[in-house]
Amino acid sequence: MILDLILPRKSKYYVAAFALLGTLFSLAPLFIQWANYTSPIYAFENSFVIDKFSIILKGLFILITYLTFLLSINFIESDKYYQGEYYYLLLSSLLGALIVSSSRDLLTIFIGIELASTPMFLLSGWKKGDRKSNEGAIKFFLLGVLSASLILYGFSLLYGLTGQLVFSDISSYLLSASLTDSPVVLLSAILVISGIGFKISIVPFHSWAPDTYEGAPLPVTAYLSVSSKATGFVALIILLTKVFSGSGSSWGFILVIISGLTMTLGNLVALQQENPVRLLAYSSISQAGFILAPIAISGITGDYQDGIFASVTYLIIYAFMNLGAFLSVHLFNNFAKSSNFYEWGGVAKKSPLAGVLTTIFFFSLAGIPPLGGWFAKFVVFRSLLGSENLIGISLGVVGAVNAVIALVYYARISKVIWMDEPKSIHEDRIFNFENPLKVVGVFTVLITFISGIFPGIFSYLGEVSSIFFGN
Amino acid sequence: MELLTNGLGLSAVVFFPIISAFLIILIPKKQEQLIKVFALASSLITFVLSAVLLFQFDFSSADKFQLGNKISWIRSINANYEIGIDGISLPLLVLSTFITVLAIIYSIEHLPEPKSPKGFLALILVLETGMNGTFVALDLILFFVFFEIVLLPMYFMIGIWGDKTIRTVSGLKNQIETRLYASIKFFVFTLFGSAFMLLGFLGLYYRGNKTFSIPELIELGSSGAFTGTFATLVFAVLFLGFAVKVPMWPLHTWLPDAHTAAPTVGSVLLAAILLKLGSYGFVRIAIPILPEQAKAWAPAIAILSAIGIIYGSLACLAQTDLKRLIAFSSVGHMGFVMLGIASLTPIGINAAMIGMVAHGVITGLLFFLSGSMAHTYHTRDMGRLGGNMKLLPKTGAMLGFTAMASLGLPGLAGFWGEFMALLGAYNPLDGLNITVFRTSMVAGAIGTVLTAGYLLWMLQRVNLGEPSEEWLDKELHDADIYELSAWIPLVVLTVLIGIFPKLIFGATNDAVTSMLLKAFGG
Repeated sequence: MILDLILPRKSKYYVAAFALLGTLFSLAPLFIQWANYTSPIYAFENSFVIDKFSIILKGLFILITYLTFLLSINFIESDKYYQGEYYYLLLSSLLGALIVSSSRDLLTIFIGIELASTPMFLLSGWKKGDRKSNEGAIKFFLLGVLSASLILYGFSLLYGLTGQLVFSDISSYLLSASLTDSPVVLLSAILVISGIGFKISIVPFHSWAPDTYEGAPLPVTAYLSVSSKATGFVALIILLTKVFSGSGSSWGFILVIISGLTMTLGNLVALQQENPVRLLAYSSISQAGFILAPIAISGITGDYQDGIFASVTYLIIYAFMNLGAFLSVHLFNNFAKSSNFYEWGGVAKKSPLAGVLTTIFFFSLAGIPPLGGWFAKFVVFRSLLGSENLIGISLGVVGAVNAVIALVYYARISKVIWMDEPKSIHEDRIFNFENPLKVVGVFTVLITFISGIFPGIFSYLGEVSSIFFGN
Repeated sequence: MELLTNGLGLSAVVFFPIISAFLIILIPKKQEQLIKVFALASSLITFVLSAVLLFQFDFSSADKFQLGNKISWIRSINANYEIGIDGISLPLLVLSTFITVLAIIYSIEHLPEPKSPKGFLALILVLETGMNGTFVALDLILFFVFFEIVLLPMYFMIGIWGDKTIRTVSGLKNQIETRLYASIKFFVFTLFGSAFMLLGFLGLYYRGNKTFSIPELIELGSSGAFTGTFATLVFAVLFLGFAVKVPMWPLHTWLPDAHTAAPTVGSVLLAAILLKLGSYGFVRIAIPILPEQAKAWAPAIAILSAIGIIYGSLACLAQTDLKRLIAFSSVGHMGFVMLGIASLTPIGINAAMIGMVAHGVITGLLFFLSGSMAHTYHTRDMGRLGGNMKLLPKTGAMLGFTAMASLGLPGLAGFWGEFMALLGAYNPLDGLNITVFRTSMVAGAIGTVLTAGYLLWMLQRVNLGEPSEEWLDKELHDADIYELSAWIPLVVLTVLIGIFPKLIFGATNDAVTSMLLKAFGG
């Protein structure tokens, strides 16, 4: 049952291959659990649960980590750094993410969140000699500690109020004592939102992200922007819907504003970036706004099921296309030896495969059908308009405008690599596209296409989120 | 033949091109000949398939959706793969497959720089899937997806194979190549419209029993399910989405840039098919689903169309660039189409339908000709061209003929659309403001005169007179066999539609009449 949690840790022997196998192998128990699934299984006095929702998320986390490993192999070997530690730290972070997706009490979820993010402090400073890397890591560390303390403070308020740790007990206590609208609960919710807000880099807690992303090794950045963000969102979704579901209208309104600000600010700043990593950092801030929107609205309307469905669908599609986008940046940065994407002029002609993949990822991020991103945006708009209230529709309009703004900078990458004149200094260089990276590219592209053309496969998520909310 | 009637044939028309495009990508770049033959063959097969459907189509019940199918696609949101054609979409679908064949024939020998036939032809085929799909989709989400699929190939066609002239753009610090500016402008404008259109679709979904099916929504709409502020807002966003694509004044500014910058084939497809996606959206979705709102908005649409007609013609008179002139003429001609639609009468909408086809054929041909001339002369400046009749007699003759067709000479295709649109505007649907429509009609009539004016003036500057000194000692190639075989079918079609407009009306009339009957009652 918890085999999937233990297995990855075994692979702390210092070989990449073993880490890869371990992660892949840890998918197996998930399949077995899925196949034998009848009803949610609770363990450790209701503080740990295995339901379809958590199985799907675990599958997602493990896959992301697997792809990150593939991204890292050449990178880590080329730098002659501590390979073993690198894999170990990533696996620890994975373990944290896995714990979060199953946790049902305050302590477990806190441990999960911190286990997921602490290794990232180290990993983001991996390039020891690099000042940017150090700066980014310090910022990340300081804000990370602050965020942990905010979450903890929020939790302690809750505990003080209710004396309970397990989510279901807390929320039933709050209901029975009709404390759902009490200012203390709201304060606790705000603290939790702020704390997790750092992890998922929503405005105004986003300032560390671009610096840390820029300084960290690229595979780590990819992991940060995909897996860490997903972990944060999952924690937020679980906490808001399981604990604070009664006071949805108050935090819902706050989140609506945050969500609107996040997408707009992220987009506007992304427009001015010349460094591809910073561009992706701001774009992922803006995407976080989109992921947040359905949860925010569901707080106001109370239709959590639909909100969770939209957010999680977005999260899954986003994870793969964004990993793909980082793969592109990785490839072209290595080739052009420059961190300004205007220097990438015409590189698509050097490697049409990389060019086509990049185009697909970036237009998918922009939400152009038939690539996966359109369905992600679509379910978000659907849940916003489905609320049929003025706030939801206004947020929908803000989202629509932002989708158009975002196109400008996503399309810019394609413009540079396909339409600009090739640089003369690039002429004799050989374009390296190692096999592990090809696997990542093909895998993420397939998911991007399949989720765009047959979005029906996400339908089961709808049922899953109803189960999730049913208990 | 059984197979073709249950939706498989229609699906093949939609997906065959994109599958071929993927196969083309797999062919090694060196085998250019194979790539070209393959692309041509696949577009021909698609055209033949659509022609077979033409015979399968039951014209006696052209008002019903036929040859279609409905398969569950995205269960969780109740979006289906629902397709079908009726008299309104049939002519446009055939036009689309037909023009694509011609575009590929032309491309065999006349690829724009940088050559790379593989990418170019694959993009044309992807584009064809988007266009055909939009005409057969009967589900709003499916429609949206196809509507958007056309954006990417067109963006890359303009951006990679487009015009490399450096130009200044007001508001930008640095000078920029025309193709880069035009491609992103095209993309952003259309995406802006369609992002809001999607919100409108979702609005219909939530108020309309959670269905995206167009036929079901039409039933709901005609029974008055959508009313009030909600319906006004939805019509407004649908209007935005479609009007950008048409394009209607004042949302047209992307069009001249895109047309001028696009490679010849890109302009042809853009003018002939892509613009029709917008006007088709009005006839297929906006009017039948939201009839009351259409009625409320009709005067505004009529006024904007009239402004578009006059503005387009006046802008044409101010052009020195041949291609840009034709681009602005599109604004004028699509103004007539929209004026016909705004009248909400059978005459007006039939006029719009034949106007769409005629504009596709005639303006497509004009862009072929101007592109070919720009290629021969290496300039599109009408001040330097002249005496084309003497230098390139075949091209010149074609240009003369097409200009006559474009200005609406009776007996050729362009006549019916303009004439009947004005007729429709003279006598719009009961309850619409007669003064507004008659004023628009007068404006439209003035527009026809101006249209004749700028086209004849263009002919005078380009075709007639003595060639200027600079061309005399140069060897100029007149149209070759590839060009002629792309152009002559269009000429034949122009004459045929001109003489037998029933070719189009036979299909559209029943469908249009029944659509209007359903929407506005007897």
